[in-house]
Amino acid sequence: MQELALLMESGSVDARDQEFVRLVKQAKAGDIAAFEAILRLYERRVLLTALRLLNRNLEDAKDAAQQVFLRLHRSLGQLDENRHFASWLYRITVNVCRDMTRARARRSALSLEEAGAGLVAAADDPVRSEQRRIIYAALATLPERERTAIVLRDLEGFTTSEAARIMGCSEVTVRSHISNARVKIRKFVQRRPRRPL
Amino acid sequence: MTCAKFEPLIALYVESDLAEREQRLVEAHLKTCAVCREFAADICDSQTALKELRMDFVEESALHEVRAEVLNQLSIPRKTVAWSKYAIAAMLFVGLWAGWLWRTRPAATPDLQPVAALIAPPPLAMAPPPQRPRTRVVRHRRPPAPTFQSEPLVVKMITDDPQVVIYWLVSQNGG
Repeated sequence: MQELALLMESGSVDARDQEFVRLVKQAKAGDIAAFEAILRLYERRVLLTALRLLNRNLEDAKDAAQQVFLRLHRSLGQLDENRHFASWLYRITVNVCRDMTRARARRSALSLEEAGAGLVAAADDPVRSEQRRIIYAALATLPERERTAIVLRDLEGFTTSEAARIMGCSEVTVRSHISNARVKIRKFVQRRPRRPL
Repeated sequence: MTCAKFEPLIALYVESDLAEREQRLVEAHLKTCAVCREFAADICDSQTALKELRMDFVEESALHEVRAEVLNQLSIPRKTVAWSKYAIAAMLFVGLWAGWLWRTRPAATPDLQPVAALIAPPPLAMAPPPQRPRTRVVRHRRPPAPTFQSEPLVVKMITDDPQVVIYWLVSQNGG
């Protein structure tokens, strides 16, 4: 499985695609082991994205990731293995997180300080840690569509057209969301005084 | 075009998200506007900070929890489906068996019937009896017997001898 994950990350496209198509076909035929292999390939990306879209609330993100993979399993029959699988999976992730965000907004708003502890920083540098906290707080203030657009474009690395396909809207709309989000983040960072270290 | 109108374009320009024509327009403006150059530098800084988040990762235990829960939930419905299949098959079998018993039940309660009725074949209720050709029954009335209220009945008896014939007179009044 580790080899396959590495293949997915950096290996040749043909080998990767062939291996993945084989896994999807087996999973469609009811092979749980093949489905688990797909799950292991994408679980990190799905959980990370869910954490970012759900303001780093780990419990909500884990629930969202579970829902994403259960939905994926239910929809395997409709999946065309030759289509771009990642975009399809991200679309499910975005939809699940959007539903959860709306449900949570009805229950209670998450405070900026609460915007959580689900992610682990790569470097344990106090300055960077404070910077991360501010950026996450800025992301938490954004409207749901703008946050989704900026997460897909700037954190997940999709192009604006790919982000538009995932979000199910036009590229012009996505660029507008991205532009608004970047301006708002910049203003938030400038206005928010950094905590004394 | 004012600087306020350039701001959204600059926010896209810093990550090369503009079309070529718009990009040239922004570049031309930035060459002449110090305020917008500062704005672009600020956006670049916040973008750098934002992209630092790409390095974040999730703990392995969280991934393990998600995976275990998904696989667990996938295994529960499969068991349910298997049990439900058996249950449906059993119910179908019982239903068919009950139907067969109902169809082959005796016609009447055996306690009240004589033994001959029990061994008799079931009545063919479904098949109607073959129709006979219709015949009209005509009853011929016999002509009324002559009554001899007053005259006697004469009985002629012939013997072997042709010369001898016996006549017997019988009274109708029982005489």
